[in-house]
Amino acid sequence: MKRCNRMMVSTLGVAMGLALSAGAAAAQDCTTKIGAVLPTSVDWGRPIAETAQFVVDQVNEAGGVAGCNVEMVLRDSQVDPKVGVDAAKALVDLDGVQVLLGAVSSGVSMPILTSVTVPGNVLQMSCCSSSTAFTKLAEEGKTKGLFFRTFATTGVQAAVGAKVAKDQGYKSVAILYKNDDWGQDLQNLIAKDFEALGITVTSATAINDGQPSYRAEVTSALSGNPDALYLGLYPNEGTAAVREWLSLGGTQNMIMANSLKSDEFRDNVGLQYLGKAFGTDTASPRVASADSFVAAYEAKFGGAPNGPGLANSYDATMIALLAMEAAGKDATGDQIAAQVARVTDPAGTPVTADAAGFAAARDVLAGGGNVMYQGATGNVRFDVNGDVSAPAVVWKFAEESVEEVEYMSLTDVDDFIASLK
Amino acid sequence: MIGLVSYLVFFAIVASILAIAVLGLNLQWGNTGLFNGGVVAFFGAGAYGTLILGGGPQDGQLGGFGLFYPLALLGGMATAGLLAWGVGILTLRLRHDYLAISTFGIAVAFENLMRNAQWLGGGAQGLRGFDRPLRAALGDGFLYNILFLLCVLVLLVLTYRFLETLVASPFGRQLRAIREDETAARSLGKTPARIRLTAFVTGSVIMGLAGGLYGTFYAFVSPQDILPTLTFQIWAMLIVGGAGNNKGAVLGAFLIWGAWTASGWALSRFAPIEAQLYTGSIQYILIGLVIVGMLLWRPQGLLPERLVVSQLGRTKT
Repeated sequence: MKRCNRMMVSTLGVAMGLALSAGAAAAQDCTTKIGAVLPTSVDWGRPIAETAQFVVDQVNEAGGVAGCNVEMVLRDSQVDPKVGVDAAKALVDLDGVQVLLGAVSSGVSMPILTSVTVPGNVLQMSCCSSSTAFTKLAEEGKTKGLFFRTFATTGVQAAVGAKVAKDQGYKSVAILYKNDDWGQDLQNLIAKDFEALGITVTSATAINDGQPSYRAEVTSALSGNPDALYLGLYPNEGTAAVREWLSLGGTQNMIMANSLKSDEFRDNVGLQYLGKAFGTDTASPRVASADSFVAAYEAKFGGAPNGPGLANSYDATMIALLAMEAAGKDATGDQIAAQVARVTDPAGTPVTADAAGFAAARDVLAGGGNVMYQGATGNVRFDVNGDVSAPAVVWKFAEESVEEVEYMSLTDVDDFIASLK
Repeated sequence: MIGLVSYLVFFAIVASILAIAVLGLNLQWGNTGLFNGGVVAFFGAGAYGTLILGGGPQDGQLGGFGLFYPLALLGGMATAGLLAWGVGILTLRLRHDYLAISTFGIAVAFENLMRNAQWLGGGAQGLRGFDRPLRAALGDGFLYNILFLLCVLVLLVLTYRFLETLVASPFGRQLRAIREDETAARSLGKTPARIRLTAFVTGSVIMGLAGGLYGTFYAFVSPQDILPTLTFQIWAMLIVGGAGNNKGAVLGAFLIWGAWTASGWALSRFAPIEAQLYTGSIQYILIGLVIVGMLLWRPQGLLPERLVVSQLGRTKT
């Protein structure tokens, strides 16, 4: 019995020694946690999370942030504000994250911002929340400069959509929009833009998610007999609504928001019906970094990054990590937020959106220089409210993926928006 | 350590708010047998009512009343009560599953109203209402959350005491009489229609209180807060805790909300990296299993209702 005990003690001793040495080894390559609250239980939410994880992998490959490996703790928001806020609070309090990525829906991002990240002094970087309420909150100084989003405000999208209608010579347009914060915002903005260009909006019809049929909505849109149809929809509802639209004899002149830039939508509707359908999107810049993002994405996931919010998610994650690198080890959320301007400085050294770009940025930042991040959505630059503007592109569907019809630089976009006012 | 305490305080606030809503449902279902499938409508009416009444002016929206906070909260409860009164008059003649379906429909209609009526509650963009009360004095950090938790706990205890007294009173006996056999109750000279309506409105006002606190705490409410999932969550809390038992209702709220959040936390921490993206779906399955298991093996809930002939009589002897 005694011997047995002794053996146990010695085994324990060995085990403890091993554990200690393992601990010492781990301390050398330390780990910095960042949090992510994304709707992974929703079909279009999962790729957004995958893209964020992809960035973290690239950065770790380039040696991590401030000498530490980055670990992204991902929580599912279930598109439920309660669940999302709780997840964010747990990430901030229990995991001690200083950077939080998310959420997607404005209805989840907003309570996270007001009740978790601003009180907790944590940087919040959203890929995809589009509500104008964030701009208002920032203008009142209530975000404390802690909120950023890489989703170009819906204003760009709407203005370019209206420009397409004008260029194509449409006199009247019917609007179908997704009945959420993004869709309502888009519909309000584009209706104003159409009006400014002298184009009649025959009807604006809300499309609710998950209905078996949209015949009633489509019929009411058809009744105005418009020249063209504007679609502010996501692929699932978009497919269903456009099928009904076409089968009821609606025009093939369509203008699509970037959310429909999806292979699934093209395949399910049929390319032959989309010949006169033009899409709008915020664009990649004419630099190698955008191509390298697409190439790296294709290599990793075996398909082009066509889906709502993927490029935005990539940029959100990368900018957050660059700012963390710039702020140095053990920086707090507000210190990191203060560095965002340094890594998105239009006068800084350009860096590409990949592992090599991150490594290059590290050297520049270590030397005290500034960096211009050339991301998957463009030369991202935030205004004082944490909003981005971006170049725009008009595209249409092709056999493989999409092809570009027209490119508008940031100044073109800004001038055109100004001309609408 | 401070992080853990801070998180637990936050968790307790949300769980206590939900517990108040579960108590409201317990009065309706546990004591009176009214199958309210539209909990979220009354919860939402309370939240929207409070934020609209207490909020400052909003562009192109109803608002700008800027009421003193306790008045706004009472106003939110009154909004929920008014909605319940209207709904009750229309639907309370229905029984069981018919009542459930019609109230469910009302909740969906309410969500759609708030989603589309931008002049009323900001539409899908949501409603920002007002900053948390006393925020200027207390800051926004840990101290604030502790005081907020204390206020919510006081309201939870008051609600609990009120319901315990109500259920033990002659009125409470009428509720149970109607639940068990309405015809028999009527034959004894009771008026089930009025009593059912009173119970329905009272329960809904309590749900409105929970909604008002919820909107205050997040300083925001949007149609995403009032999806049918919330009704389902509150029902799950009552079923697991024990319908007809107020202690069970509170226990169920803490347990189910705890399971909901803890499973998400545990999966994010311990699930293998390849499974991380699927934790949301796994979580749904786990929670579903817990509820199905409860229904199979302990349908009366963890703390079942204690049937007594007359509590007043018992205390006298």
